[in-house]
Amino acid sequence: MTANSEPVRPAAPRASRGARGFAPLAGNSQRAVLAVLVAAGIAGFAAALERGEAARAWQAYLVNLLFFLGVAQGGVVVAAAFYLTQARWAGAAAFRLAEAFSGFLPLGFLLFWGLYFGRTLIFPWVLHPVAQKAAWLNTPFLFARDGIGLLAMTLLSTWLVRVSRSRRARAWATDSSDIAMPPPAIRRLAPALALAFAAVYSLIAFDLVMSLAPVWHSTLFGAYFFAASFLSALAAMALTAVILRGRLGPANAFTMPKVLHDLGKLVFAFSVFWIYLLFAQYIVIWYGDIPVETFFIVQRVYYAPWAPLSYAAVILIFVVPFVVLLGARPKRTPPILGAVAAGVLAGIWLERYVLVVPSLSQHVVPFGWIELLISLGFLGGFVLCVITGLNMAAAAARWELPAEGH
Amino acid sequence: MSGTVEIIATFAGEEQCVGGIEALRAARAEDFHVFAPIPSEHIEKAIGRRRSPVRAFVLIGGILGVLTGLAITIGTSREWNMVAGGKPIISWPPFIIICFELMILFGGIAAVLSFLLSAQVPAFESLPGYSSRFCGDRFGVAVRCEETEAQKIESILGVAGAEEVRRAQAQPSAAIVDLRDG
Repeated sequence: MTANSEPVRPAAPRASRGARGFAPLAGNSQRAVLAVLVAAGIAGFAAALERGEAARAWQAYLVNLLFFLGVAQGGVVVAAAFYLTQARWAGAAAFRLAEAFSGFLPLGFLLFWGLYFGRTLIFPWVLHPVAQKAAWLNTPFLFARDGIGLLAMTLLSTWLVRVSRSRRARAWATDSSDIAMPPPAIRRLAPALALAFAAVYSLIAFDLVMSLAPVWHSTLFGAYFFAASFLSALAAMALTAVILRGRLGPANAFTMPKVLHDLGKLVFAFSVFWIYLLFAQYIVIWYGDIPVETFFIVQRVYYAPWAPLSYAAVILIFVVPFVVLLGARPKRTPPILGAVAAGVLAGIWLERYVLVVPSLSQHVVPFGWIELLISLGFLGGFVLCVITGLNMAAAAARWELPAEGH
Repeated sequence: MSGTVEIIATFAGEEQCVGGIEALRAARAEDFHVFAPIPSEHIEKAIGRRRSPVRAFVLIGGILGVLTGLAITIGTSREWNMVAGGKPIISWPPFIIICFELMILFGGIAAVLSFLLSAQVPAFESLPGYSSRFCGDRFGVAVRCEETEAQKIESILGVAGAEEVRRAQAQPSAAIVDLRDG
């Protein structure tokens, strides 16, 4: 967080008096509540280890790490995508909003190393190595490659966010009548980051999710995983925009219907993309009908207790957004957009849970105070890390309004 | 139709043209069409154009496509009762793909055909009042009105900022297509 929490407050030209101290989300009481959540999470984790429920604690840890890392990294990639497509429909606010979650990346990188201590309980191949895959699935190599990958992503993301918050990039994002390209550093960083995201998060999907069922494999799984991360970031952006719009005063970027409309379109589009990738994997495995491939699906889709959870995830991530966000008006109605985005986030959390846990706990759905406390702890830590970024997004939404148009 | 005249006003810019359209509609002169060198959202708004019917035809086409896909896949599977790979005769996962593709195909064809029909293209005769400048750098508004009204309409268009207002004898009405319906 060190690099991101620099006071790069937008010195808004139109209202410099208010911009500097503008921090609608930084109240001490809010921070205290978040700190309590983190403490509860740590206490829950410790208590679970104490009571011999270490496996459940580590599963919950992994699920939450994958989810929140996906939101944080996906957000920076959304910002990179906005630069690549020169998307200035929400002015600087959309960029600040997408980058806000990047504050969690350094913490997420550290938490990844926490997995090392739970490796025997998370990765079945640590205690029972798979002979043919031993060259790939072994502890030193896995932590080395994923650690390097995540470090590279964290550094690239921090760099992009830092350049993106510079005065020049902000001016570019706000003035859509200027047809110039984004600043040169961004023109190089954004495509590099997008490509690195695809590579590293495929690797994360293969190593931290697929290897939990070490005999199973699906080539598309990496793409599916990082596309879902991208979608989770878009949903988090839409939800945050809906939450922020009421707190920023009468006129801000998030009270403009066209901005919410565009965020709604993005959630809709990538929700369709998600189901496309899901189906593309399913159909190939269904056709092939090879036991070593089908067991992963059969366990999750055809048998209790996991089948209802899988269906719930599909309903939350695809069915509800598709039906509800099809028209223009629901996308422009803040409570509807916010509720759908929250549903998508819940669905993606559930999807990560259904991808990870059944590999380790086949017949029982472990969900109780351990999972709840650890998830709340992650949530608290995530929000604490991103609060500075959210305040920047709020300031940009308040003072760096996009030009009126379409 | 002896008492009907065609008044053609030329505008230099989109804004003046929109102003002219709004003034006409305020004066309840609704029998006009507009020539524009560019597709313009503002002009469409000023005309008060109805929503295009193309969208409804695309929906109908899409639904027909899905039904056709289901008919083809389920029908052939039932006609040809062959168990493949131990799967049920009617196995829905691959059928989804056929239905999806036919939905896109039928929806797309419906879009093109209904567009051609509702826009009445190809049109081999240009509309009365058309001038090649309206494909260049000028906007045009052609109004049909009673001869008694003509003076009033001309002054409305002039006040709205028309560069030039001229009068032409109206042609038989059957040839005139009201753009607002397309």
